[in-house]
Amino acid sequence: MTTRTPAETLVSRYLADLDRALRSLAAPRRRQIMEEISAHIAEGRAELDGDDEAGVRALLDRVGDPELIAEEAGASAEPPRGSDAWVPWLLLVGGFLLVVGWFAGVLLLWTSHAWGLRDKLLGTFVLPGGLLGLVVLGGFPTSVGECSGTSTCVSSGFSLPFPLGIVLLLVALVAPLATAWHLDRIRRRS
Amino acid sequence: MVPGDDAIWLAQLRRGSAEHCVLALLRHGEKYGFDLARTLTDGAGLIASEGTIYPLLARLRRNGLVATTWRESVEGPPRRYYRLTKAGERALSDFIPQWQQFREAVDKILDEVPSI
Repeated sequence: MTTRTPAETLVSRYLADLDRALRSLAAPRRRQIMEEISAHIAEGRAELDGDDEAGVRALLDRVGDPELIAEEAGASAEPPRGSDAWVPWLLLVGGFLLVVGWFAGVLLLWTSHAWGLRDKLLGTFVLPGGLLGLVVLGGFPTSVGECSGTSTCVSSGFSLPFPLGIVLLLVALVAPLATAWHLDRIRRRS
Repeated sequence: MVPGDDAIWLAQLRRGSAEHCVLALLRHGEKYGFDLARTLTDGAGLIASEGTIYPLLARLRRNGLVATTWRESVEGPPRRYYRLTKAGERALSDFIPQWQQFREAVDKILDEVPSI
């Protein structure tokens, strides 16, 4: 490749900016807009005198701010973050990672653009700790160390009336799973 | 929307009418993007910048209101030409009386405002 003229550099820099602004679009839509705008610029340059730098600058000005074009195309200003994929999992089982895993999930959830306020509230409160709640409710590993001889080591989960206990256990199982599934579906759609 | 904020109301008005203006420009035959972009920005300012015509055209195409054909051009690379579909013609003929009604309603109210 030979050295670029200043006008060519302007055009390729503009197209790179545009491509970056469109990155949240699906590939075929992004490609189509890139193709058409490249053709538009080529068409505009054909009217100009070869490599007239000022002319090319004015032409690109008329084509407009890449962010404006991206906005018209419905591209979200913020691209999806790589960490978004972790959020449903952290909320679900992060509680088992010394509990901080769940808090990390909540932090990533609230700082992401992939979910709306309703989803964020849902992810935080249904249910805090994710599946850890199931274990706490069942009183399963927590009561082990405390059972020293006498019969006073009944955990709260088992002291509930029988049908209510079962219902709570089911909720503690199904609610976090449903929330994680919902958040993952929203993430894939955005 | 806050009255007085020129940029916002104008952007909303553009968004609501630019697509139909494109349909209207195609009424008498096919055109290519560059031409449409120039017409809509020159003077009228119906789109924010020339480049924004392409996402708009893509949307019209997805909605089946326009169709495209590639054609060789005398000078330069082949061009993608846009033309109205039957659905596009219908959308345009629905829009025209509605726009006139809207414009008259706004004008009527503006005329009633006592002069300042």
